[in-house]
Amino acid sequence: MRYDSITEAIGNTPLVRIDPAVHGLRHIDLYAKLEMLNPFGSVKDRPAWHMARPHLQEAAGGDGTVVELSSGNTAKALALLAGMHGLKFRSVTNRMRVPEIKELLLLLGAEIEELPGRSECLDPTDTDDPLTRFHQALSGPGNTYLHTDQYFNPRNVEAHAAGTGPEIVKDLDGRAPDWFVACVGTAGSSTGVARVLREHDAGVRVLGLVADKSDFIPGIRTLDEVHQVGLFDPATYDLLAPVTSQQAIDGMITLIRRCGLLSGPTGGAAYHGAVRQLAGVDAELEGTGRRQTAVFIVCDRAESYLSYVRQRRPELLGRARRGHSPATLGDDDVRARGRAVGVEDARRRIAEGEPRPLVVDLRGPHAYAALHIEGSVNIVDELFEELVRGGLPFSKRTPVLLACPVGERSLRYAALLSGMGHPDVRSLAGGIVAWRDAGAPLVRE
Amino acid sequence: MKDAPLYLRPRVDPPLASLLGNAPLLHSLADALGSPLNVLLPEALAANAERFRSVYRRHHLAGRVYFAHKANRSSALVRRLAACDPAAVGIDVASLEELRHALSCGFTGDRVMATGPKDPEFLWLAARTGATVNVDSPGELDQLAALVRKYGLARTDVLVRLSGFESATGAELGGAGTRLLARRSRFGTPVAEADGLWATLERHADSVELVGVAYHLDTTGLEEKGRALERCVLLMDECRARGLTPRAVDIGGGFGVGYVEDAGEWDRWTTALSEAVLGTRPPLTWRGHGYGLRNEAGTVRGTAALYPAHRPTAGPGYLDALLSRPAPVLGRPPATLLLEHLHDLYVEPGRALVDQCGLSLARVEEVRPLESDGPGRYLVRLGMNAGDVSLEEHGVLVDPVLLPRGGPLHQGTADEQPADGEPVGVHLVGNLCLEADLITRRLVFLPRLPRPGDLLAFVNTAGYVMDFHAHHAQRRPLARTVAVTEEGGTWRWCPDENYWPLTHPQGVPS
Repeated sequence: MRYDSITEAIGNTPLVRIDPAVHGLRHIDLYAKLEMLNPFGSVKDRPAWHMARPHLQEAAGGDGTVVELSSGNTAKALALLAGMHGLKFRSVTNRMRVPEIKELLLLLGAEIEELPGRSECLDPTDTDDPLTRFHQALSGPGNTYLHTDQYFNPRNVEAHAAGTGPEIVKDLDGRAPDWFVACVGTAGSSTGVARVLREHDAGVRVLGLVADKSDFIPGIRTLDEVHQVGLFDPATYDLLAPVTSQQAIDGMITLIRRCGLLSGPTGGAAYHGAVRQLAGVDAELEGTGRRQTAVFIVCDRAESYLSYVRQRRPELLGRARRGHSPATLGDDDVRARGRAVGVEDARRRIAEGEPRPLVVDLRGPHAYAALHIEGSVNIVDELFEELVRGGLPFSKRTPVLLACPVGERSLRYAALLSGMGHPDVRSLAGGIVAWRDAGAPLVRE
Repeated sequence: MKDAPLYLRPRVDPPLASLLGNAPLLHSLADALGSPLNVLLPEALAANAERFRSVYRRHHLAGRVYFAHKANRSSALVRRLAACDPAAVGIDVASLEELRHALSCGFTGDRVMATGPKDPEFLWLAARTGATVNVDSPGELDQLAALVRKYGLARTDVLVRLSGFESATGAELGGAGTRLLARRSRFGTPVAEADGLWATLERHADSVELVGVAYHLDTTGLEEKGRALERCVLLMDECRARGLTPRAVDIGGGFGVGYVEDAGEWDRWTTALSEAVLGTRPPLTWRGHGYGLRNEAGTVRGTAALYPAHRPTAGPGYLDALLSRPAPVLGRPPATLLLEHLHDLYVEPGRALVDQCGLSLARVEEVRPLESDGPGRYLVRLGMNAGDVSLEEHGVLVDPVLLPRGGPLHQGTADEQPADGEPVGVHLVGNLCLEADLITRRLVFLPRLPRPGDLLAFVNTAGYVMDFHAHHAQRRPLARTVAVTEEGGTWRWCPDENYWPLTHPQGVPS
């Protein structure tokens, strides 16, 4: 396929049947609408382009800034679209909770403004939320902001009513599915798709999924938060049900490991919520000879959510690492093998030692630059851990004096290096703090 | 009633729980001393200070925990803290009278930090007694230096309070790259004007000595505080490069308290508030008050002006979390940064340090059915007013504990009242002749209908809620305050002003 612009590749995403052996539903065909295959990576490519297009064509090349309240996929799509039109993009958010997404947005050239947390010392008369102030700033005189306003902009819904919804009907040979399942974020996709499906068949049932109240699933709002979304209309949904982050990850793992679908946690939440709801329906269909069809949305891909998974299911990532590591030492090993020297002894060794010891300062480079023992080298502990994993980084003929802030970490490393065969490695007892308190000299870089 | 009662039951830790279990003592205290009555547990305060100290120890950090005196005006609390390890515990005073009080309670000047707006008398006494002055602006520094010179005072230790961190973050370090917005503060010197501040400090080097930099951010957000903390570490380096010798970073207070025990109760109630504002369920409040939420065409707008009453991480745990999360520019956790740079850490907890240290008692004066609100709703008038327990003023929503009077006098009263054990929704109103005198605007559920003579105990009120807004309107008396201590299962009490941190001041019991 040949395109003049990447924006032409938005939409027309595949509808893929999930193997019944995976979901176990005997009388329901379950399909995944793979919105993760949009060019910028998510379901938000459609509304981002549909909302921004009129502004972008007007403002291209000017000094305007596209602004949106988004912590994820909408921001990603808008950042790329703004860049293509020579404009800046700014994301304003209090929900930037996945570090990789934040870094990705910075890579795409976005500016990020994070809203303040809640007041600790409460002023009960201050009921304006930060968003109200944000909107006031946007409507101020002489500003050059292009605000796409995804939570209230009807073009968000239209993008799905014109694209996602009709595509589903077309791929199901002109029929609407019996069930449509979507996670509710801005309510754009669920509202737009539901509208089109119901025009085809008023009997379509729509299941909206929200995040469990005290939980967090990227791109989904909780039951309270949906009430703050302008596009949200409770009448759109036959049912609203909560999903936890653990269930979202369960669903995601099933889609990835058994269906070949590289879904993120939001798609996983949709799959989990769909199967949970449909299991009851499936039982009722038993013996009636009827079959039903259901569609859920896989809204984005897995790669950006590794830290999200690591936080909640560390066992799914990373096995224990091999090699020498202070983490493998028990307190007894440290006591048995770690040798420490006091400040006076250390000063004597540094002044008179034959040969003089190599002094290794394990603190961070900024702290080292601010004050350190003259002649010491700085190998920050994280780096040192990597270095010793593979073997001794010094000759056994060079005495070594390790220093950290209070002499605790350095003692562990002294024990580790002794265990690895170094004959003369010591830790500075009490660390740099004791060194300073003893009035021993420290120098600035 | 169709719905389950929307309780917001308080978190009650052991010493307070044991006190609440002794209803006869609390009743006899209220009988003798009147309603309202404040009860304080000085030993719980010392235990809290120790919890903060254990976070310091875990991170190998040195420096003091300063109690923000403004949280409570009690003498017993301040005297108990004065008896703690002088190297570990100090006090943060925000007025001349608080400073005088701290000194009279046994704090020496070197353990005192003077903060907030300062008049000349306050500055003079702080400098005279060797307190550390937490300076708000270059102007205040000029004023302090002038006093020191004019009255021949010793060189005074100062911290400088900084603000406006958001505009300065990251850019010049090629680091963070994102701008974190912060609520504007009326206090402190903007970081962008720090050069002028350092120059002022150097000009007054004969009269003041910089011991560190300070911030206090009014936010529950760890991210904002973490950034400010890291920025302070970088600024300390700037000072050292200029030849100044600061050694402490003061990160203020705001560590928070969890008032409500159960997350589910808090979640259910706040969800119900949104629904009530949208009109999909009956109001949960007096006259449908929305606590700042409003209904605009079926969408909830605004933000609930409520203290996050259930907090899984608060107090010492919050400090630990703040010290442990990696900083945005230098990458290492703040605890590591402070330690590696050999800086001391100062904190100024108020509310968090007096967590679980007190309760406020009120006598039930009148119970009246509210026919207009349908069956099962009552108005309960208390022997206190909203100034005596300023829960609303601080957005704190939590249920009081009902302490029945018991005894023959109250057995078998009128039959129109619900039977014992049946939960009931009541509006708690105060004793002032004033429509707005509501103890809380929230409809409060109690396990059964109270009767006149019962006590309601508002627990965990020692931080700001107990006496911060107490007043003499309509010549109503201020609450008396007593300090209680437990030993071997026996509670002793004395008036707050008579408390001293001695064991058995009246002699050892035989």
